[in-house]
Amino acid sequence: MIQNDQLKHIFAKALLTRLFEARLIKLTAEGFLPPLLHPGAGQEVAQIAALSALNDDDPLLYSHRGVGYMVARGTSLSAMIADMAGRAGGTNNGKGGIMHVVDVPNAVYGESGTLGGGLVLSVGMGMALKRRRSDQVVIHFFGDGASNRGTFHEALNWAAVQKLPCIYVCENNGWAVSVPTSVSTAVENIADRAAGYGIPGEVVDGADPNAVMAAISDAARRARAGEGPSLIEIKAIRLLGHYAADPQDYRADAATVKERDPLVTLRQRVIDLGLLSEAEIDAMTADYEAQVEQAVETVKAAPLIDADQAFADLYA
Amino acid sequence: MMRTINYGQAINEALAEEMARDKDVILYGLDVAAWGGIFNITKGLLDRFGPERVFDSPISESAMVGAGVGAAIMGLRPVVELQYADFILVAGDEIFFKAGLWRYMHGGAFKVPLVVRLPSGATGAGPEHSTCPEAYIMHSPGLLCAVPSTAADAKALLKEAIRLDNPVMFFEHRRLYQKRDAIPEGDVTLPFGKGIIRREGRHVTVVAWQYMLSRALKAAEILETEGIEIEIFDPRTLSPFDSETLIESVRKTGACLVVEEGYRRLGVGAEIGAMLMEQAFGYLDRPFRRLAIPDVPVASVKPLVDRVLPSVEDICATCRELAA
Ligand SMILES: Cc1ncc(C[n+]2csc(CCOP(=O)(O)OP(=O)(O)O)c2C)c(N)n1
Repeated sequence: MIQNDQLKHIFAKALLTRLFEARLIKLTAEGFLPPLLHPGAGQEVAQIAALSALNDDDPLLYSHRGVGYMVARGTSLSAMIADMAGRAGGTNNGKGGIMHVVDVPNAVYGESGTLGGGLVLSVGMGMALKRRRSDQVVIHFFGDGASNRGTFHEALNWAAVQKLPCIYVCENNGWAVSVPTSVSTAVENIADRAAGYGIPGEVVDGADPNAVMAAISDAARRARAGEGPSLIEIKAIRLLGHYAADPQDYRADAATVKERDPLVTLRQRVIDLGLLSEAEIDAMTADYEAQVEQAVETVKAAPLIDADQAFADLYA
Repeated sequence: MMRTINYGQAINEALAEEMARDKDVILYGLDVAAWGGIFNITKGLLDRFGPERVFDSPISESAMVGAGVGAAIMGLRPVVELQYADFILVAGDEIFFKAGLWRYMHGGAFKVPLVVRLPSGATGAGPEHSTCPEAYIMHSPGLLCAVPSTAADAKALLKEAIRLDNPVMFFEHRRLYQKRDAIPEGDVTLPFGKGIIRREGRHVTVVAWQYMLSRALKAAEILETEGIEIEIFDPRTLSPFDSETLIESVRKTGACLVVEEGYRRLGVGAEIGAMLMEQAFGYLDRPFRRLAIPDVPVASVKPLVDRVLPSVEDICATCRELAA
């Protein structure tokens, strides 16, 4: 059973993520940041709940949708903005932008620009952990669209046959850009595919942090015990467009999606449980907005990334 | 007296020595464990180092190379055998983007000490099992490319490749596996980016490596009887490429021919020719030339293969023209 302080923690990180991302979107509209941002609004509660079930040194490969993963790990907000803005002080020296935020001290190992490309890397990361007799587990997030890549099959089969300490988390938000999952995918649940690899598969509601944490905790326990990988499918909600300025003309659920916002549900829950009052949440909101603003100011004051960085970091 | 071993044994010795030296070196691929690989290169390594370090992988080329990148990022030093060099395109994302770009894209946050062993060359197994795709690797930033031609070089370059912190695409020519050479004793490595003049001459510089090097050397013997002395440059690694030694040679001979087993268009020779135009135009007193596969697939049966592979006679004829 999820502890109250964990629930409070998840809410707090999800709130910070939502506010941070909203500010990033505004900065893209203002032209300070490029528009290539895939908002994670609606998915952050589950992302943060999943990571809360692990240790902070469990290696993470994340997906392009949102910044909740990095916020959960405590990556600097200003560094993420700098990555996007092409300013000094970012995590990847201007090479990867917001899509390739990296933070090895916090076990954030990056993101594949090719969808599903991280799946095969996670296999090797798991091999390294296993060889070292490490207690760590690799967690890898990806979308339902990416689960149709061949790398999904290769990685899950390999991780399963070698019993690697990997947790595969599919965030199924029902869309891949404009294509609904029903058009691209024959199975109802991505997690059903786990059976094809002889590993546990579980579907959880992304609006329910308890369910997410429980599933990830179980998967982590199995992985750490040498029982191999698991496939967890989070039924997720993409509140916004594929990218920040996406007009979403194709979208059938546009009218109703907002009513299902997991952060609103969680907010009500922490209030109902008496964990936080409205006033306390307001104060948190003001505090986080100030933190975000401070990060924005830091980046605006930072110099542009040195153009000669184009030649750095290629070879060790 | 120097010991003589074949190129395949040299690779096996390099693997064994590096695995004994560094417990982070692991080796995997198709059939490499119990069987010792379809070309018999990894024989004995399973017995010596155990199944945790030497194992058979699923037929999942993307995962083979991708797992190598992931393991390398986490501090292991994986050596992956892709059964055929041709399969680099099966693992294209993983070789060109993950091995080549992942470090750069993440601002140098980690190193990728990965070696991918790539048996290459025409062997009669059809167009998808017969290529020498070094040019793809040279075209791609972030990757190193080794093309050893002798047993001694194969051993020394592979030992170096395993110790380097950058991803190395290590081409092993299938027709060289049985070729015997003298090999020095001891822990010998060779730096990348340093080629060697295999034979001195004053009329034409011939650039050749691996199987084409043996043809160039045969051509040199024939040409010598006609009074034509060709100088043969073996680059050993193509990325980085030792342009300095080549330019020095061209300065002496005034002519250059590249002989390669890859496709001609935008091949390795095209790059070397362009480099000479930019950096050594003044030394060339005859047009730069190349011999390569004439942009058709390399077929299965011997007559068709022989028709497209640069031959000793082709090399002789082109050198005669250049020396005239
Ligand atoms: C191999 C590859 N193909 C296509 C793309 C372009 N692309 C980026 S995100 C995306 C949709 C991804 O859908 P999904 O995996 O469901 O994740 P979501 O965006 O819904 O979070 C596409 C097609 C890509 N980055 N890589």
